[in-house]
Amino acid sequence: MIKRVTAKPLSWLERALFIDFIKGLSVTIRHAFSRTITTHYPYEKLTPPKRFRGFFAHKVVDGNEPQPAYDEWVERFKIEVIPGKSRCVVCMLCKRACPVPQLFEIEGKKLENGRRVVSVFNMNLMLCTFCGFCVDACPVDCLYQTDIHETASYTRKDSILDLELLEKIGKDWQMRRENEPDRIWIDDSQRDKLWHENKVKLPEAEIRGRHEW
Amino acid sequence: MESVVAGVVIAVIKILVILGIVLGVGAYLTWVERKVAAHIQRRPGPMVVGWHGLLQPIADGLKLITKEDLFPRYGNKFLYNLAIVLALVPATLVFAVVPFGPEFELFGYRIKPILTDVNVALLLVFGLGSLAVYAIAIAGWASNSKYPLIGSMRKAGIIISYEVAITFAVMGPLILAGTLSTYEIVQRQIEQNLWYIWVQPIAFVVFLFSLLAETGRVPFDIQEAEAELVTGFTVEYGGMKFGLFPLVEWYVEVLSLSAIAVVLFFGGWSPINIPFMGFVDPLFFLGPFSPYVWFLLKVTVLFLFILWLHWTLPRYRIDQITEIAWKVMLPLALINIVLTAIIAPVVWR
Repeated sequence: MIKRVTAKPLSWLERALFIDFIKGLSVTIRHAFSRTITTHYPYEKLTPPKRFRGFFAHKVVDGNEPQPAYDEWVERFKIEVIPGKSRCVVCMLCKRACPVPQLFEIEGKKLENGRRVVSVFNMNLMLCTFCGFCVDACPVDCLYQTDIHETASYTRKDSILDLELLEKIGKDWQMRRENEPDRIWIDDSQRDKLWHENKVKLPEAEIRGRHEW
Repeated sequence: MESVVAGVVIAVIKILVILGIVLGVGAYLTWVERKVAAHIQRRPGPMVVGWHGLLQPIADGLKLITKEDLFPRYGNKFLYNLAIVLALVPATLVFAVVPFGPEFELFGYRIKPILTDVNVALLLVFGLGSLAVYAIAIAGWASNSKYPLIGSMRKAGIIISYEVAITFAVMGPLILAGTLSTYEIVQRQIEQNLWYIWVQPIAFVVFLFSLLAETGRVPFDIQEAEAELVTGFTVEYGGMKFGLFPLVEWYVEVLSLSAIAVVLFFGGWSPINIPFMGFVDPLFFLGPFSPYVWFLLKVTVLFLFILWLHWTLPRYRIDQITEIAWKVMLPLALINIVLTAIIAPVVWR
């Protein structure tokens, strides 16, 4: 059944006195004299949510790896675990999951003690759509997307993330936001300025390590 | 001989002052408009270039001047450039008959702050106003492109409709004043202790509608119609040539027609009027400058009101616009003339 919804037609008097104009004008004048809600971008910045799909990063080995998955993969591929270095086990699942696989360039190398380690991990972000499939595919919670969203660069070469940079971003992200509870938005001062009308106090989430759940 | 030289010198000074004010203010009104529009939409508007974006018009001008000047293939170059001149000159010329204040005496010369006090001033205004349609029609034609042509045809339709309405609308104040000279009209309002808005509200509404239509302001901005026609007749123009059209249409023309509206309905440079009683001047402490301040104040308020309307209302369809012109505004204006013509002689003569 189609429900027809129409505005009530204006009466003759309302037309003659421009009532509809006056209503609209009163709305705009009220907005004109209320506070602006703009974030002045280069000077003020919003903090993106924790799950934001920005620049990629490699989480480094710091004892918070998902267990027992990480140990199983390390065992299977005989990976040399170096604390402070990438967790990558060179399983290539990220490349498999990727819609544009050629953007990954992943190589491992054999160390003298017979164990292996990732040596090359290049991501060409010129081809990337930031879909996050690779992050979902990563079995050891290594490849990750961070909240860095200012990705513009002057050259095409700058848009390629190599292993060193990925680890650097990963360390930075782990330091800043690893322990933050998963929430859609975090309540920082910028956002507080914007949405002061509906300020809600969210219950403090219990911080737990990834391996506990 | 000396008086001739003095007259020429005074005229040149007047021309320079008026041109400077009109074009300088016109450029800065872009900033005003952007600020008003932004605050209505709860944005701050330009903020980066200068304090609160005060240098933004200069930055825009520099950007437009340094842009490449493209010309559409198979367009008509002569008409293409002529359109700009035709848009700018008549719109600026209207200020020749706008009186800014009362007559004063300086170094023994009596000076009227009006460039030419001709006795057909209002005819001149509407003649020049109608010339705007040529600029836009020629701009659309010379561009050799579809959107500009559609835009200019729409604009031509609107102007032809509303020229009639606006001319009949000003007949009411003309009958009351008994003269076509803008300076004299203001003088009569001061003598009669009456702003004509009090007895001619219908004429003012018709005038305001026609003003919006002639200057291509919302709700009559159908010739620009960003959503459908990109920007109408200016599509093929680039750089400063593009910048001049909105400058002329949205600012210089609105300013000139606001000034004419103030002259016709709000008593020009006279202070606040109590109908038939007299004038109250809260700005008396400004002494001889008070009339100029009043005139500028009234024009500013009217201009801001037009901006407010622009950023509030949606756009009419082309058939609705012409329908309003011919079926509502023209009959209203005619009724107003008849009533005025019957009542005015009874009251004043």
